[in-house]
Amino acid sequence: MRKFDIELAVGVFLLVGIICLGYLSIRLGKMEVFGSKGYDIQAVFINSGGLKNGSDIVIAGVGVGRVKTITLENYQAQVVMNLPWDIKVQEDAIALIRTKGLIGEKYIEITPGGSDKLIPPGGKIRDTQPAVDLEELISKYVFGKIQ
Amino acid sequence: MNRNFLLSMVSAFLIILGTWAPAMAGEPTEQIKQTTAKTLSMLTDPNLKNPARAQERKQTVSRTIDERFDWEELARRSLAQHWAQRTLDEKKEFIQLYRDLLERTYLNKVQDYSGETVRYEGESAESDYATVKVRILTSKNTEIPVDYRVMKKGNNWLVYDISIEGVSLVNNYRSQFNSILQKSTYQELVKKLKDKSLTEKP
Repeated sequence: MRKFDIELAVGVFLLVGIICLGYLSIRLGKMEVFGSKGYDIQAVFINSGGLKNGSDIVIAGVGVGRVKTITLENYQAQVVMNLPWDIKVQEDAIALIRTKGLIGEKYIEITPGGSDKLIPPGGKIRDTQPAVDLEELISKYVFGKIQ
Repeated sequence: MNRNFLLSMVSAFLIILGTWAPAMAGEPTEQIKQTTAKTLSMLTDPNLKNPARAQERKQTVSRTIDERFDWEELARRSLAQHWAQRTLDEKKEFIQLYRDLLERTYLNKVQDYSGETVRYEGESAESDYATVKVRILTSKNTEIPVDYRVMKKGNNWLVYDISIEGVSLVNNYRSQFNSILQKSTYQELVKKLKDKSLTEKP
């Protein structure tokens, strides 16, 4: 009888350990297993500038959501963003790809609009601003002037 | 860099005649093209080049551009979340002030026009909204990509935003107005716009 108790205790302990490990890896990996909360909206960018799945979505500097998927469609980057239900995005909002610092990682900033119409789940932010490629800009103006 | 950006904005505002026939031009492109051609013909018109008629030239160009630009939409989008709090009279006044600001910033430089040409690169349309992509070729052989964002109102496609090198005009003013309005009042912003128009009047 006593032996059975110890075996049970070890089993339970191991199970709890595995659950903790699972939780930790999901948390650290920023994965979502039980379906994402909130709703998705899309935006199409000419240049995503190396944006990644899981990149931050920011309004006024406050992180509000994450990039869910990035796919290539018609040679443009189609980005699906996941936002919580309480964050409403107006129809005339603008989505921009920004860089943390000069060469830091990329994130999406949404500048809220003033329209009464809100973007429904599955909707699309129509106005976007692609990542600014510093190198390209410099070369354009530097080499442009030589001629 | 800043000066270059301003120059590009000026060029975009001048809207210059295209020399390449587009492969497939839709209605939005057609209308942008018309305005462009009309503006360019005024800018190159030898009769209007006379300095004495500079004012007249500026006025006719501005009238042509007014037909293609939806100033209310531009003003509304630039004020964004602050727009709804304004009264009808304040909105009217703001549209006028904003229009003046943009015209002063870009249109006063019409004399800088130096033979830039425009290439139409196609458009993408989605119900009542469309983007007309053009490239402005400067005399220095640089290409400036410009996107006109237009929306359909009646039979007309009107411009509600311009993005140059991927940088949006509305977003630029939206963040500027927003930071002013966070720090001070709307009255202060109007005063700033008015002061600017007084000091910069030619």
